[in-house]
Amino acid sequence: MSRFIPAVRRPNALRRLFTALVLLGLLLTAVFLVWRPFSRSVPLGPQQQVQTINPKMGVHTRLTDEAEAWKIKRTLEMVREMGAPWIVEYFPWAYYEPEPGEFDWGHPDLVISHARRQGLKVIARLGFAPEWARPPDTTPLYLDEEGYQSFGRYAAAFARRYAGQVDYIILWNEPNLSMEWGFRPVDPAAYTAMLRVVTPMVKAANPDVQVLAGALAPSLAPPGSEWGLDDRLYLQGMYDAGAKEYFDVLAIHAYGWHFDPDEPAAPDVVNFRRAELLRQIMVANGDAEKPAMITEGGWNDHPRWTKAVRPSQRIRYTIRAYQIAQEEWPWLESISLWAFRFPWDTKTYQDYFTFVSTDFEPKPIYLEVQRYAQGQWEAP
Amino acid sequence: MRSLGARAAVWRERAGRGSIGLLALLGVGILAGLLLLGRDLLGSEDLTWQAMQRRGSWRVGMDPSFPPFEMLDETGQPVGLDVDLARAMAQEWGLELEIVSLGFDGLVDALLAGKIDSVVSALPYDPRLTQDIAYSPPYFEAGVRLVVPQGSPIQDVQGLAGMRVAVEWGSAGDAVGRRLRREEPSIQLILRPSPEEAVAALLAGDADALLIDGVTLGLAQAQGAAIQAVGPPLESDPYVIALPLDAPVLQERVRAALASLRESGALARLEARWFASSEMTP
Repeated sequence: MSRFIPAVRRPNALRRLFTALVLLGLLLTAVFLVWRPFSRSVPLGPQQQVQTINPKMGVHTRLTDEAEAWKIKRTLEMVREMGAPWIVEYFPWAYYEPEPGEFDWGHPDLVISHARRQGLKVIARLGFAPEWARPPDTTPLYLDEEGYQSFGRYAAAFARRYAGQVDYIILWNEPNLSMEWGFRPVDPAAYTAMLRVVTPMVKAANPDVQVLAGALAPSLAPPGSEWGLDDRLYLQGMYDAGAKEYFDVLAIHAYGWHFDPDEPAAPDVVNFRRAELLRQIMVANGDAEKPAMITEGGWNDHPRWTKAVRPSQRIRYTIRAYQIAQEEWPWLESISLWAFRFPWDTKTYQDYFTFVSTDFEPKPIYLEVQRYAQGQWEAP
Repeated sequence: MRSLGARAAVWRERAGRGSIGLLALLGVGILAGLLLLGRDLLGSEDLTWQAMQRRGSWRVGMDPSFPPFEMLDETGQPVGLDVDLARAMAQEWGLELEIVSLGFDGLVDALLAGKIDSVVSALPYDPRLTQDIAYSPPYFEAGVRLVVPQGSPIQDVQGLAGMRVAVEWGSAGDAVGRRLRREEPSIQLILRPSPEEAVAALLAGDADALLIDGVTLGLAQAQGAAIQAVGPPLESDPYVIALPLDAPVLQERVRAALASLRESGALARLEARWFASSEMTP
């Protein structure tokens, strides 16, 4: 009989074991839920400084959709280790002001604090309108006069919050492309009207911040094109509309496509030195004292994209572009090339603009640029 | 407290109910499986395949700018390995091949939008897209290979210690070479500005081995270079055919046709023909 006693008791023992496991599970869940918000953060680490022979070097990072704190930190560490003191980063309005006046600065706080700790200077690109700030059935790239004040409030709130941390703010991106202007005909006067509203609001919030305008896409589109407008014509249109008083720095996008960076500039060619044509327009409009910054640009080494170059050319051209910025263009404060790393592979030609793979493996171009920044680079 | 006998009866009863439930579940599963199988076999739900039959053609998207896989001839017609491969498959199905020339980055979108039936364009496999599209088995491996002269004692990356390894400067092969050198610092990388010059370095004896992509390797071999790949791809980059996700009949036909072309040697002959006819231009 006694042999059967344990068998009778086993269900109770199992029940107790089951209960214990459930309680343990609940306890672990509670610990996880409490811990989770804190797990987003990683230690900032000691204050770092960028070591480089070229203080104008920069890259456009893409941390907007990078959720994991350690990846944000690692990205910015690698920028610093490459020898680039500047980054351009995108802070989409719709992400951080989902409802009017309700700001969520968690992600920008993370990015900016880590960037500062790595010794990097942040150029913040602002844009991407939330649904509440634009008419129904428009894209986030649509901003009309009704939304200028709202955009100004976001930009001012950003400038105020990051005063002393972020000294440069770009207002909107590539407004000379119809797509970037909400699929409307592009309009330099309307863009200037936006600057006229937003820039004073930003300056009132933080008088030390420098407002970058333009960020025009290199384009040969003629007037009346449904796709956009030649960046030279657009910039002149901005000056004609009175933009001069409403920005501190011209943001330039300088892509080389398949041209050598020493290929001379020409109105009918998109190449790296097209930046010089925009500079000429600044000077012609009495804006010679104002600096410029390249906030996007570079070369692509996709094996199939028609505007790409060979990987070896990309290395040479990239380093030469950094040299030109430092040695030949005193009016240029910084040059941030597109794009340091994406959170995930786009599986398009875009992946071939990057310096570092999504898993943080440095591409050969990263290592070569790093050697250049260390003053050790020689072409093989 | 129930007696042991009563407990046993309860367990038997529960077990009986469980068996009935299990049998019912099994029955439903078998029925669902038969329905799915029947749908696939009859093609009643493969609207792409049905449209191809009505139209009498297989509408294939490609970007004819990547020799020897696809390019335009002097009359502006698409030619190349992918063109012949797609034509051979279409012929097997009794269909005409209809080529739609598109930019490389627009191919998958065109497939998703139903503008084309398939993509045959030296398209690299992308696991992230398998939620939206289906892929054929690979028909070409374009990834980075370790390449040596025929008769070389080097048989894998373990044999690269102290060796000179040619790469195209900045390429995926260069990236692999730098990774290997981190583990084995005695590897000396020979950087060349183009893949063709990297191959030339190996052939001239300026390097002991080469890290190069499968396309460059195929071109060099087809033009008589006495070199060979050893070991598995060091970085895989398989080319596949992209198909609609909801086209089970077409997917099966493509799979079977590729297998048939591979088994008959036709695929190898196509490769040999097109790689030999394309020139490497340093």
